[in-house]
Amino acid sequence: MIKFRLGNDEEMKILDYSDLVFFRKLTNKMRDPKTRFDVREFINRGEDYLFNYTNKNVGGVDERRRKFLKSLIFGMAAAAVVGIIPGVSVLVPPTVTVATGFPKSLLIDSSGNPVKASSLPVNSPYIMVFEYPMTGEPNFLINLGDSSGRPVEINPTKVVIPQTGKTYDFPGGVGPNKSIVAYSAICQHLGCTPPYIHFYPPNYVNSGQLTASEPDQLTAAALLAARQANVPALIHCDCHGSTYDPYHGASVLTGPTVRPLPAVILEWDSSTDYLYAIGSVGVAVYPNGSNGIPSQDPTEDLSSSFGTSVGEKITVSQTENPFSS
Amino acid sequence: MGVSDWFKERLGLDDLPFFRTPDYMYNVNYWLGSLVAAAFIYTVVSGLILLLYYNAEAGYSSTEFIIQKVPYGSVILYSHLYGAYAMIILAYIHMFRNYFAGAYKKPRELLWIIGVIMLVLTLGTAFLGYSLIGDALATSAVDVGEGIISSVPGLSIFIPILFGNYDAGYYGRVLAWHIIFVALIGLLFIFHFFMAEHYGIMPSRKVKDRAPAVYAREEWQKFNPWWPRNFVYMMSLVFLTWGFILLIPNALAYLNGLPQQLNPFLNPQPAPPPNSPAAAHITTYPPWFFLFLYKIADFTNDVLIFLFIGVIIPLLYLILVPFIDRSPHLDLKKRRLFTAFGILMVTYLIQTTIFGDLTPGVEISIIQQIIVYLPPAVITLVGVFALPTGSNKKAIANPLGILAVLATSILFAGALITFVVSPSLLTITAFTVFALIFVLSIRNLSPIVLKSEGEHRDAKAVLEKPENRELKKKIAEILISILFILSVVLASQLWVIPSTGYLSNIFGIDLGSIFIMLGEAISLYHYVVYKR
Ligand code: FES
Repeated sequence: MIKFRLGNDEEMKILDYSDLVFFRKLTNKMRDPKTRFDVREFINRGEDYLFNYTNKNVGGVDERRRKFLKSLIFGMAAAAVVGIIPGVSVLVPPTVTVATGFPKSLLIDSSGNPVKASSLPVNSPYIMVFEYPMTGEPNFLINLGDSSGRPVEINPTKVVIPQTGKTYDFPGGVGPNKSIVAYSAICQHLGCTPPYIHFYPPNYVNSGQLTASEPDQLTAAALLAARQANVPALIHCDCHGSTYDPYHGASVLTGPTVRPLPAVILEWDSSTDYLYAIGSVGVAVYPNGSNGIPSQDPTEDLSSSFGTSVGEKITVSQTENPFSS
Repeated sequence: MGVSDWFKERLGLDDLPFFRTPDYMYNVNYWLGSLVAAAFIYTVVSGLILLLYYNAEAGYSSTEFIIQKVPYGSVILYSHLYGAYAMIILAYIHMFRNYFAGAYKKPRELLWIIGVIMLVLTLGTAFLGYSLIGDALATSAVDVGEGIISSVPGLSIFIPILFGNYDAGYYGRVLAWHIIFVALIGLLFIFHFFMAEHYGIMPSRKVKDRAPAVYAREEWQKFNPWWPRNFVYMMSLVFLTWGFILLIPNALAYLNGLPQQLNPFLNPQPAPPPNSPAAAHITTYPPWFFLFLYKIADFTNDVLIFLFIGVIIPLLYLILVPFIDRSPHLDLKKRRLFTAFGILMVTYLIQTTIFGDLTPGVEISIIQQIIVYLPPAVITLVGVFALPTGSNKKAIANPLGILAVLATSILFAGALITFVVSPSLLTITAFTVFALIFVLSIRNLSPIVLKSEGEHRDAKAVLEKPENRELKKKIAEILISILFILSVVLASQLWVIPSTGYLSNIFGIDLGSIFIMLGEAISLYHYVVYKR
């Protein structure tokens, strides 16, 4: 800053540095042929012209002030950009889990503890249900027994598909007594789910059940079929009366269904007593043939790579007892 | 050489045929178009982001997916919706402002017509976009739209072309048309913009009061060059627009339990899906910007008449007005009939929209229609023709004045209707009061209402004292510093907002606030640096 001393200690400010810059710029512009100061115009229009001229060529506000303000503005713009950065995550798609094969899933109970195979009640009327391989696809988890409640070993069988006449292999039960099985809880007739389709333990497979109210009723045909096949317990759908044989891979005992229930392949770890779901066999729930007819190869949809790794945990829940007594 | 000059040279900004702007035009009044454009750009960008997630085969569930699962998805979706809303509202304001300014006159006829077409496209795009949500309201709006189209003989072939198999849940067509319409708007916008730059912003009526109102090239050479001042000014408007587009819907997202009448205007959340039990409990409304059409459909059973009243006549009028109003006068008093039409259009638009909101789908008898629509017509015509004539400079000449007259007209009309429907001492008193205000507003209040216009004129006569201005600039500088600090604080807060869930909309609120502050700061900067 250039200062000018007036006698008794009074200082008068004459020229700021920025003013100096301003003047230098102005004189340069005035001399520059491109932006030459038009003296004649100045005489005509007076200070108006000078004012406009300066404003246009040099700017009204001194450089430093302008620079400072500019940096504030750019700072704010930068703040906006910095603020937007987390927003860029809008471009990152949220992960949607899709199954490329069947995952290996640990079965856990509703409190989060793994289900122990040896403590699974035999012939329980409480149907243990878990969703596998996808949510919304319920399956029964049953520990099968005979009519006096002792666990029964379930052997591997060939299951016949009445619709096509073909067969597929059911691997049998797992667990300490090889008595634990799991079947889809979606009726293969028209898709009824629990409580309409449910498990009838031996004490419910009797003539008393013929007159029970829905969804506990058993048809005479179902009862007869159970006698003939010599099975103490049933899976029965109250919607239209389809009956399945849980001891033989949920094969069809009575119609209207023409397809057995797909079975969930279970794996039992004898060291921990834990149960895993690792895949399914049976007719594809979603037929990939035309017109809703299931594919000729019953394993076509359900045979891909079983049990890759423990990808997730699946909760087993007990649905309410459908029997009123 | 500064950054600014570097850009100027690289982009050849001085050689572009951009309009040079005189000082007095740095007023939002002259820049309404840029607000519409800002809303348009915001909506396009947010729409493209949504396009990454939207699945036309599962309209409703992918909308829900975007809101609930996509990081900041709800922020983008709601602001996309409100960007479109803002664009519609601003387009109306832009259009009516230019209507009253007489900007459709020579040589801007084509500019005007393209603008009207863009408005139609915008409304169409908005309707299609609204249909993409697939909620109960959208599907019923599509039903109504399909109904209207199919009841005009010969038009039904357009339903599959336009909507595809909408009812079966396939929204691919609607999505495609939504985007095609936007592309058309973008294309027309380029023409609209360059034409506007070519003719220049329309001069104030005090400078040129007759068509063709353009600055000659020699005149405009003396004005401020486009770069960087126009750019700076524009950016302030753009950021302000974006800020409000982000702020308002995200704040509204936290408003629950609005009365049904406010829902079409203030609720950014989708309604329940059409096949859910909850859908039975909601009154179906069209989107608010079509409430007026929806109401007009209640006036008559004849779809052709409805289309004529609601769509064809107003549209034809708007397109043809440059050729009907051939006088060179820009002064509203010298084209009273057109002024009256303009005021009536705005009044009817607002009135019918509110009417439709209050009585959705309720049939209205001819008598009721007359009660509602005749008084504004009479009042406006009488009012406009009762305006003082002559070279009185205190004419109603700015949007504010128009708005004031409009408001008093509506109040007056409302009071009249109330009185007619239920005559009592109270209603007649109210009527008298409003009638007085109305007359005053037309006759004597106008100079007071138009104070801003008056100030504007005086500003030239009595120049502001330099010290005063310096003080104001100092205050502006301090304000910029405060805004800077605030925005840095907000920006750091943005990092801790969860990306999904209930709190995620705060992101939109905060970011919107930063944009608003940035816009405000740029505007202050413009004031400090350029204002003399
Ligand atoms: S759905 Fe189960 S029997 Fe028909």
